[in-house]
Amino acid sequence: MPLLEIRNLVVRYGEIEALRGITIAVEAGQVVTLLGANGAGKSTTLRAISGLAKPTSGEILFDGQSIAGLGPEAIVRLGISHVPEGRRVFPGLTVKENIMLGASNRKASSAQISREADAMFDLFPDIRAFADALGWTLSGGQLQMVAVARGLMAKPRLLLLDEPSLGLAPVIVQAVFRIISQIRKDTTVLLVEQNARMGLSVADHGFVLETGRIVLGGKPDELWGNEAIAAAYLGGHAKASA
Amino acid sequence: MDLVLQLLFTGIGIGAVYALVALGFVLIFRATNVVNFAQGEFSMVAAYLMVVFSVDLGWPYWLSFLIALGGMALLGVIFNLGVYYPLRHRTFLPVIIATIGASILLSNSVLAIYGPQPQVLQGWFDTPGIQLGPVYLDSQYLLIIAVTIALVFFNYWFFEKTLLGKKLQATSQDKEMASLLGISVSTMIMITFIYSAVLGGLAGLLVAPVLFVSIQMGSTIALKAFAATIIGGFGDVAGAIIGGLALGVIETFGAAYISVPYKDGFAFLVLVAFLIFRPQGIFGERVAEKA
Repeated sequence: MPLLEIRNLVVRYGEIEALRGITIAVEAGQVVTLLGANGAGKSTTLRAISGLAKPTSGEILFDGQSIAGLGPEAIVRLGISHVPEGRRVFPGLTVKENIMLGASNRKASSAQISREADAMFDLFPDIRAFADALGWTLSGGQLQMVAVARGLMAKPRLLLLDEPSLGLAPVIVQAVFRIISQIRKDTTVLLVEQNARMGLSVADHGFVLETGRIVLGGKPDELWGNEAIAAAYLGGHAKASA
Repeated sequence: MDLVLQLLFTGIGIGAVYALVALGFVLIFRATNVVNFAQGEFSMVAAYLMVVFSVDLGWPYWLSFLIALGGMALLGVIFNLGVYYPLRHRTFLPVIIATIGASILLSNSVLAIYGPQPQVLQGWFDTPGIQLGPVYLDSQYLLIIAVTIALVFFNYWFFEKTLLGKKLQATSQDKEMASLLGISVSTMIMITFIYSAVLGGLAGLLVAPVLFVSIQMGSTIALKAFAATIIGGFGDVAGAIIGGLALGVIETFGAAYISVPYKDGFAFLVLVAFLIFRPQGIFGERVAEKA
């Protein structure tokens, strides 16, 4: 049984049908990458899984249990942590406070959470020096590190990462992806990326979304092998956004 | 010089009341992005609760005080569930109008029960005050200042040093992200309403022996407190406290040196001056950090 299974998921925002019946599965221990252009429905897929967007129809099963229609607070308690687009680091809280709040989905003492947040800096040494800096003072790359660290504090069984490379310099993008390849040792990851080259480099499986539909799915080398797709989504686009 | 010190003491005392109510404004504004126009009525209702238990029923002062504060916590819960919660997904306008409606409901309910004549409430202490050199320190004003100082420290500790305080801050900065982390946004907002109602109630209980207990006391205090939040920098906790104290001092000096009948006018004169020359308030720049 896959850890996450989505069947015929439809999400409408008013008149707009953002997802038109997508079906994907994520096996435990895998990194699965969702590729696609702006507005293809990648973020909506993650928002539906984490409970921010209400599915119009279709099923979302986590560990065999239906989670469609649950609120975000309930879903993160089940072990799905969503690091949303734009990082959303709390600007008026310090880096360490931001990371500590990532553990809000489980019961633990503040002292315990504080120790765990300190330990998180071992995985993200670049932000250790900024532990007491307020969120709004950080650079884009630092914010992304904080956002991922905060997401991991939930001790998720499934981590949803939305465009971690967006707006970052190439060298920072590489640092972020090094971290993703570290995370995958313990955590299943569903990754949304416009940067196809980086997105597929860490993936076990990839899906390509186009205007709310899955148009292609397969192992990374199979996706590279599909010429039309490689030209449209992987080749030219990867260059443009990398 | 003696008069200056005396006025300063009185001004800070009355300003501390404005500061407490202003703090309630700011906390609710930060959590819900809505100005609660019933914040002043919290002070009025608490003062009348005090009259019920302490004067009418003759219960001990401290016990009546605690019961009144407990009543305010309950009112905070009811207010949240009845006024804010049903409208939480709407824009700010329906919510603001609902708080105005709640304000009218509260003041007229009290009017229906107690009638328009003001009530008198004794101060906490039997001793009216102490003479310290040239300055006479009224015991009730001393209590107001002491409680406000204690609350400023409590507020700092609560929001800066506890995980719950951080969750409240996170909720006020980005509700959707807070919910993604598993923070119960509705619980955080409930806590904010309870805390703000208790703060407003405390201000009412403390100032009631200085003023009369009347239906209008809420709106008078709320207008001053609202002016204080704008002077301090809207949405800023330190600004609300500094603004409240400044306003109390300004209107006390204005009354003493310029004109007593225009006492209330000075607060609004200062408010207008700030709106023209420094609309972001004293601590205005820091508001941007919240966004």
